[in-house]
Amino acid sequence: MGSHEALSVDPFKRLVKLAARAFYDDITTKGDKQPKTGRSDNRGIAVVVLDALTRRQWVREEDLAKDLKLHSKQLRRTLRFFEEEKLVTRDHRKETAKGAKIYSAAVAATGDGQPGGREGDEKLKMHTHSYCCLDYAQLKDELESKNTVQEYICPNCSKRYTALDALRLISPHDEYFHCESCDGVLVAEADKLAAQELGDGDDNARRRRHEKLKDMLQNMEEQLKPLMDQLGRVKDLTVPEFGSLQAWELQNAAGRAANGDHGNDPSKSSQGFGFGGTPMPYVGETKVEVDFSGIDGKGEIKSENGNAPMKVLPPWMIRQGMKLTEEQRGETKQEAKMAGSLTAVESSDDKKITDEKDDVKNIQDEYVKAYYAALLKRQR
Amino acid sequence: MFFHIVLERNMQLHPRHFGRDLRDKLVTKLMKDVEGTCSGRHGFIVAITGIESVGKGLIRDGTGFVTFPVKYQCVVFRPFKGEILEAVVTMVNKMGFFAEAGPVQIFVSNHLIPDDMEFQSGDMANYTTSDGSVKIQKDSEVRLKIIGTRVDATEIFCIGTIKDDFLGVISDPGAAS
Repeated sequence: MGSHEALSVDPFKRLVKLAARAFYDDITTKGDKQPKTGRSDNRGIAVVVLDALTRRQWVREEDLAKDLKLHSKQLRRTLRFFEEEKLVTRDHRKETAKGAKIYSAAVAATGDGQPGGREGDEKLKMHTHSYCCLDYAQLKDELESKNTVQEYICPNCSKRYTALDALRLISPHDEYFHCESCDGVLVAEADKLAAQELGDGDDNARRRRHEKLKDMLQNMEEQLKPLMDQLGRVKDLTVPEFGSLQAWELQNAAGRAANGDHGNDPSKSSQGFGFGGTPMPYVGETKVEVDFSGIDGKGEIKSENGNAPMKVLPPWMIRQGMKLTEEQRGETKQEAKMAGSLTAVESSDDKKITDEKDDVKNIQDEYVKAYYAALLKRQR
Repeated sequence: MFFHIVLERNMQLHPRHFGRDLRDKLVTKLMKDVEGTCSGRHGFIVAITGIESVGKGLIRDGTGFVTFPVKYQCVVFRPFKGEILEAVVTMVNKMGFFAEAGPVQIFVSNHLIPDDMEFQSGDMANYTTSDGSVKIQKDSEVRLKIIGTRVDATEIFCIGTIKDDFLGVISDPGAAS
């Protein structure tokens, strides 16, 4: 069951990753007015955050910030942006000591160290892939409508208008649109671009502009093709749904109880997952080594059981028809673990708990066996 | 798109109208007040088709006016994105043209006019194909598709396109005369 679930989650992850790279690559969370110095340039953060979220379910913002070595303010800004983009769901609640306990009991996939945490506004979030689909549709709309809803710009005061303002802009004296504030003659935006690049040769420019637009469109279609393909693949699959925070906690806590696990051991974080796992709240305290064998830009935390050192191919390098092991595809394996057997999840934190280590190993071996059996079966 | 819906409105009536034909007065006033108005929520109220109910009147302090809650059926018109409409051109300029479909104003920018149509300024500004067979000028009838709407509390404005299959001029007053 585990591997099956994992397989249905995987395409969604890939979709998120592709979408992140396609659309949020050069998003800065800074205001436009601030000068972009080298240091404050945080483009690419958005992609990193989204990627990190594909590897988690619900997670506390502070923990995520720590994992990503981001300032929590910066992270929050990014997350708020994604919330507006309907990519990320956040849950805010006042956390009491009891609440923290429930949460830490449910840390099957997240990690929480303070069962006795103080009262405070607790913010958690999850990513729902269905939202991603929705968002994609919205984006596509926007891209298309960019070509249709004409924008006008005032060359004097650079005030912008759209065709929807047309009624207010017409002047009784001539046949141009006039700026409301400075009465300058408005220029259609595409015209302006064309004028900049091609000079003004009325008829020719228009035709050339048209060709250019066509080129751009074609380019876009080409570049979006992997995304579209992925979308097509994902369309018929059920969406991984983590439910509300409360439901998620309950579910995971229940799973834990069923496994006879003692639920509030704070060291039960998920270091064992390697990069595929979940937040590692103790990054500050544990020894961290950069695993050079696993360099893929993710700054992977070395895991001691060494079950994840294989290189992960970045999603944009994976083409159809490539023969890849599951490890190369990314988190499938880890995800399988997460979705599949809570037992494995719970006990894979072999981090410095030597007396549990053997037990853990057994379970992992068992799991790997079962997993490959399932895989073989599927391939036949 | 047209809808037949039930709306409610509180009507204030001057005491001088109280009498046998109070109800008629109420309906007449309602029609005068409401027909032809536009609300962002429902669209343009085209016509009142019937009265559902007239509630109990309430005398207002100080003025003597009486407020009646009136429920009425009416036909409303609300334009939607993607809808195809037939409209009459009201104005042509270099930026495009304006047209009206009943109460709705629609603007078609020159980018959404087929590329083979060129703007011709002059006495009667128009967009014409290079062979002169099709001409869009004031009072032409065009079929267009709405690609965007701006809905305010009391106003709806649309932008449309004729750059699609089966859109464009459907009758040309210039050709007929």
